Amino acid sequence: MPDEGFGVGASLLRREDDRHLHGRGQFVADIKLPGTIEVAFVRSPHAHARIIGISVPPEARGRVFTAADLPRVKPIRVVSHSSGAKSPPWPPLATDKVRYVGEAIAACVAPSRGEAEDLANAVAVDFEILDAVIDAPRDMRGSRHPVHEQWGDNLYIEHALENGDIDAAARSAGVTVTREFRMQRQSGAPLECRGVLACRDHRLDEVVLYTSTQTPHTVRVALAEILDLEERRIRVVAPDVGGGFGPKARLYPEEIILAALALELDHPVRWIEDRNEHLLTTAHTRDHHYKVSAYADRQGRILGVDAEITVDAGAYGLWPQGPYHEAGMVARALPGPYTIPNYRARHYTVATNKTPLGPYRGVGRPGACFVIERLVDEVARAVGREPNEVRALHLVRPEQMPFTTIGGMRLDSGDYAASVQLCAQLLDMPAIRARQQWAEPDGRRIGIGFATFAEQTAHGAAEFAARGASIIPGFESCTARILTDGSVVLMVGIQSHGQGLETALSQVAAEELGIDPVRISVRHGDTESTAFGFGTFASRSMVMSGGAVARASRMLRDKLCRIGAHLLQCDVAETRCAGGLVSGPQGSVTIAEIAKVAHLRMDGLPQGVDPLLDATATYEPAISTGVYSYATHGAVVAVDPETGFIELLDFAVAEDCGTMVNPMLVEGQIRGGVVQGIGTALYEEIPYDETGQPLAGTLADYLMPGAAELPAIKIGHLHTPTPHTEYGMKGMGEGGAVAPPAAIANAVRDALSAMGAEVNETPITPRRVMAAIRNAREVG
Amino acid sequence: MTAIRLQINGAAVADDVPPRLSLADFLRERRNLTGTHLGCEHGVCGACTLLVDGEPARSCLMLAVACDEREIRTIEGFAGDQVIEALRRNFHQHHALQCGYCTPAMLITARDLILRRRAGSERDIREGLAGNICRCTGYTNIVTAIAEAAKEFGKEPANA
Amino acid sequence: MKAPAVDYVRPRSLAEAVDLLAQHRGAARVIAGGQSLVAMMNLRVASPGLLIDISRLPELCSVSDDADAVTIGACVRHAAIEDGRVADPTRRLMPRVAASLAYRAIRTRGTIGGSLALSDPAAEWPAVLTALDAEVLVRGPGGRRSVRCADFTTGIFETTLADGEIIESVRIPRLSADARWGYLKLSRKSGEFASALGVAVADRTRGFSRVTLGAANGAPLVLEDTSRLLSNGGHDLRSAVAADLNRAADRHFDEFQRNLHTVAAMRAVQQVLQ
Repeated sequence: MPDEGFGVGASLLRREDDRHLHGRGQFVADIKLPGTIEVAFVRSPHAHARIIGISVPPEARGRVFTAADLPRVKPIRVVSHSSGAKSPPWPPLATDKVRYVGEAIAACVAPSRGEAEDLANAVAVDFEILDAVIDAPRDMRGSRHPVHEQWGDNLYIEHALENGDIDAAARSAGVTVTREFRMQRQSGAPLECRGVLACRDHRLDEVVLYTSTQTPHTVRVALAEILDLEERRIRVVAPDVGGGFGPKARLYPEEIILAALALELDHPVRWIEDRNEHLLTTAHTRDHHYKVSAYADRQGRILGVDAEITVDAGAYGLWPQGPYHEAGMVARALPGPYTIPNYRARHYTVATNKTPLGPYRGVGRPGACFVIERLVDEVARAVGREPNEVRALHLVRPEQMPFTTIGGMRLDSGDYAASVQLCAQLLDMPAIRARQQWAEPDGRRIGIGFATFAEQTAHGAAEFAARGASIIPGFESCTARILTDGSVVLMVGIQSHGQGLETALSQVAAEELGIDPVRISVRHGDTESTAFGFGTFASRSMVMSGGAVARASRMLRDKLCRIGAHLLQCDVAETRCAGGLVSGPQGSVTIAEIAKVAHLRMDGLPQGVDPLLDATATYEPAISTGVYSYATHGAVVAVDPETGFIELLDFAVAEDCGTMVNPMLVEGQIRGGVVQGIGTALYEEIPYDETGQPLAGTLADYLMPGAAELPAIKIGHLHTPTPHTEYGMKGMGEGGAVAPPAAIANAVRDALSAMGAEVNETPITPRRVMAAIRNAREVG
Repeated sequence: MTAIRLQINGAAVADDVPPRLSLADFLRERRNLTGTHLGCEHGVCGACTLLVDGEPARSCLMLAVACDEREIRTIEGFAGDQVIEALRRNFHQHHALQCGYCTPAMLITARDLILRRRAGSERDIREGLAGNICRCTGYTNIVTAIAEAAKEFGKEPANA
Repeated sequence: MKAPAVDYVRPRSLAEAVDLLAQHRGAARVIAGGQSLVAMMNLRVASPGLLIDISRLPELCSVSDDADAVTIGACVRHAAIEDGRVADPTRRLMPRVAASLAYRAIRTRGTIGGSLALSDPAAEWPAVLTALDAEVLVRGPGGRRSVRCADFTTGIFETTLADGEIIESVRIPRLSADARWGYLKLSRKSGEFASALGVAVADRTRGFSRVTLGAANGAPLVLEDTSRLLSNGGHDLRSAVAADLNRAADRHFDEFQRNLHTVAAMRAVQQVLQ
C-alpha cells in the first residue's frame, strides 16, 4: 500500500534529474585523473585478412602495443552448453588474422587523443586479403575462406524446434502464405559511445576500470579470468551511462586492453570511443533473414507455421552469452501469443566477417513479431477479413492462462484481445477507415496497422540454463543499510542508465520501510560498493532488483520492529513501521532513534539482537522462466505513392505490465522503446558491400528518428498483476521496441492495399516502397 | 600553440591552445566544464550544442582558436536564467530526460526556441528539435516540457 | 575522431587572405563557418595544413543592395538569411531555403559562401542560386571576377574556383513583384541532406524562368525544356521533365532517383503554377 504517495504505484519525480539538468552528470569521459594517457586503436580496414606484419615507426616504440606486447591477455571465449555450439577464441588484439572491419590490432598511447590517432595512422600493417563471408544464408555451410578455419563451416550453432505435425497442417491448409522477411543490420547507437578509463590504485592494490557498461560485476568476472587476476584486485565502476539498450551489456576487447595497459604502464589510461568507431565496433544488432509459411483454413484460422530463421552473427561471440540465444529466442517467440497448434522452426546462427552481433532492446522479439504479425495480416487478406479479427481468433484468452505457446513461451496472465481493442480505440480506427474511403488531397495513401506480442521478462535461472548459458543471470541482490541517523542506502547489482531505478528502487524500500524516498540513496554500478548482481538488461531490473530491495527492506523492517518493540516495551506483534516511525500501542520511536541504538547505544538492544541495520537479500521471481508483459501497437501512416516517402501520423500502445511501481517511468520506457522501434522500422541500417565494408560510418548515413519525424506516442494501460513477483510487477523496458516494425509494415501494407504492394524488410525506406509498388504492378 | 582570449560563462579566460583542438574539447578537458557532451563529432547529434555569442552552435565543429574574442555559454553558465529555470522545472515535472546525455544541449536548444518564439506549437517545437537526438525518451515528454515552459513566456509570435 | 595537426591564422583583410593562400599554395584552406570543413577534419578526410580564417573579414560579411540586386557577402550565415536579417531579393525564397538547411546550430555558423565553395551535390544553395540566376564574385591574386552560378559548380565538390581564389560575395537579381517560385526538398529526416531538390523560379516581368534540380549526382541540373515550359506556359510538364532527364544520362540516375527527381521538378513547378 503506498504510503503518502511515494511508495509502489506513485509517479515519483526522479532524483537523477537534478545532476543531469545542471550538466553535472558524471559519464566516463567526464572523470579526470591526473596524468591520464589517451589511447587510440589501430583497426583493421579489411573484413577478412591474415596479418603478415605490423611495423611501428622507431620513434613510436613503447607507445604502440600489439598482442605480442601484452602476453598476459588471454582470448575472450564464450562458453555455451548448447549442443553443437562452436565458440571461437577472440584475442582482444588481433594476432594472426582479422575478421571484421574495425577489429582492434594495436593500442597506441599519447598525451592527447589526437596524437594517439596520429600514431595509429603511422602504424603500417601488412595484410593478405581473404574473401569475406557476408551472405549468411548462402555461406552458412562453408565458403572459400571460412571465418574460423577450424570449423569446416560458418555456423556457430543450428537447431530445430518442432511441435505438432506441421506437414499435416500444410497438407490440410486451404490458404498458404509464404514470405521472406529481412531485418537489416543496425546499431543500438546510444548517444554516449563506449569508453574506458583504467588506473591502478596502489592503496587498495586494485586495477580500477571506469567503463560505460550495463554489467559491471560480470565485466569483473571476465577481467579476472582473462588477465589472470583475482577479482578482489579488480574494481569495475559504471558511472553515469548515456544509454545502453543491450550493446553495452557485453564485454569488449577495449575493456581488457585498457586494464592491461593500466597494469603495464602504471598510469591512468583512457579510451573514449568516437561515433565512427562505435558504428564499426560496438555490437551490431537485428540482422535476421526469414523464410516462413503460414498454413490456414479459409476462415483464417492458422493451422501451422513453418519457419527458417538465419541470424547473421558476425565474426566473434560477445561474452558472456555469445550469439547463441538470439535465433532460439526468435524461434520461441515467432508463433506469438497465439494458439497455433503446429509449428516448426529451423534456425541457423552464422559467422560472417562483420562486427559481432549483440543484444538490443527486444533481441529476437522484434524479428519474431515482424514475421508473425505480417503473416497474420496476409492470412487475413487472403481470406478477406480484417487483420484484427484474425488476431482475435488466435490470441490466448485470459481463461486459458497459464498457457504455454507452441513456441514454448509460458504466458502467465493477461487479456491480449483487450489490448488489441484498446489500441484500435486509441487510434480511432473507425475514423481511419472512414478517412480511407476518400482520396487524400495530396495524393498520399493512409494506412493503419497493428501488432501484438508477448514480452518475456525477468527470466531467471531456468530460462538461461535452458539456453545453454554458462553464466546465468538468475537473481539480483540488494544490501540495504540504515545508517546511524536513520537514512538508508540500498546497494544493488543492477545498473541504471536512464531507467530511473535510483528513484523506483527507493520507492520499493519506502513502501516496505515507511521511510520517505528522499532519505534513501541507491548505489549501483560499482563492484566495490554493491553485492554481486548481473546488471540491467532483459527487462529484469525492476522485478529482480525490486524484489531483492523488497526482501532486504522487509528484513530491516522486522529488525526495526523488534528493536522498536523493545524500546517501546510492547510486543513485536503490536508494532507498525510507517511514516518514519515504529509505533506501538503507547507511543512511537523514530527510525533514527532505533538506528542510534543499533549502532551507538547497543546497550539498549534487546537480547538476541545484534548491532547494525544491514540486510542482504537475493531475489528471483517464483517463475524462473519469466513473467510476460504484452502489448498491441498500432501505427497510422501516410505513404506518398509517387516517392515512397512515409509519414508516421499516429502511434499508440496498449500495454499491460502488471503493477507499475512508477507509472511515469513505465511510460517513459515505452515511448523510448517505441521510437527505437520506429528507427528500426523506417531509418536505421548498416549495409555491407561485397568486400565486407560497412557503409554507414557516420550519423549522416546512419539515420535515427528525431522529434520532427514523430507523432506524440499514445499509451493506454491494462492491469493484470502477475502472481509470481513482488507487488505483481512485470518487466517492460524492451517491449516498446518490439512491435513498431510490424505495426508500421502492416500500416504500409494497408495504405498500399489497392496497389497490392508490401514491404517485408526493415528499414522500410522510400526506395523499398517504390520497389514494392513496382513489383506489385509487374506481378498484378 | 595559439593564444586566445574569450568569455566563458561570463568570466574572461586566456589560454594557449593547439589549433586542432575543438571548442568542445577545450571546455571539457582544459576548463573542466564537462556538461557539454560529445556524441558524434560531426555535427549531427546535437549533444555538444552550447551558445556562441548568444546563438546555439556545435562545439564539436568549432575550433577553440576560432573562438578568440567570443562569448561562450555552457550548461554550467545559466544560473539565474529564467528560461532555463522554467525548462529545468518542466523537464523534471514531465520526465523529459532519462540517461541525461542529451539533456544539457536539449535545454540550450529549447531555450533558444523559446526566445525566438519558435515554441508556440507542437509542430514548431518538433522541427526546432530536429538537430538534437535523444535516444531514450522518444521525445514526447521533451516536447510537452518545452511547450509548458514556453507558456510562461508569452505567446506573441516573433516579428520576422 | 580528432582533427589532425593544423596551423591557424586570422588575416585582417581579404587581400591579406588572398596573399596567404597564394603563399601556401595547396597546403592551406580558407575556413569560414567550418561546419563542413571541421567535420571533414574530424573524420580525417581533410588535412589542410594551414587554416586561414576569413569568417570575420568585413568585406565578406557585408550586404549591399541596389535597384536590381542584393549582394550578400560570402561569410553571411544561413541563420541571418533565415531570420530575414539581411535584405531579401527573392520574395522569401531564400529565407525558406535557409530554414530547411541542416539544423539551427549549424545555420548560426555555416555560411552561404562556404556552401558554394564546397558544392556538396546535395547542398541547397548551389541549386537555388542557379535557379535565381545569381552570380558569384570571386577574388584572387589576379583581382576580381564574376561567374554565373550556373557555371560555378562543375561537379561533385568541384567548382571553377582556382587555387588561391576566395568567394567574395553572391549577387542575386531581384525577383519582380509578380514573380513566383517553388521549392521542394525531399529528405527522410528533417535537416539531413536532400534526396531530391527541386527549385522553380518564374519571373515574367524579367522574362526569366528556370527550373533546377539539386542532389543530382553532380552540379545543379538546369532543366532547359522545363524552364521553357514555365516561361511559355506549355502543358506537358511530365514530358518536358522527362526530356530534360533523358539528356542527363551522364548523371547515371537509377530508376528510383530518376523518379524522385521527376517528382521534385514537377512539384516545384506546380507550386509556381497554382
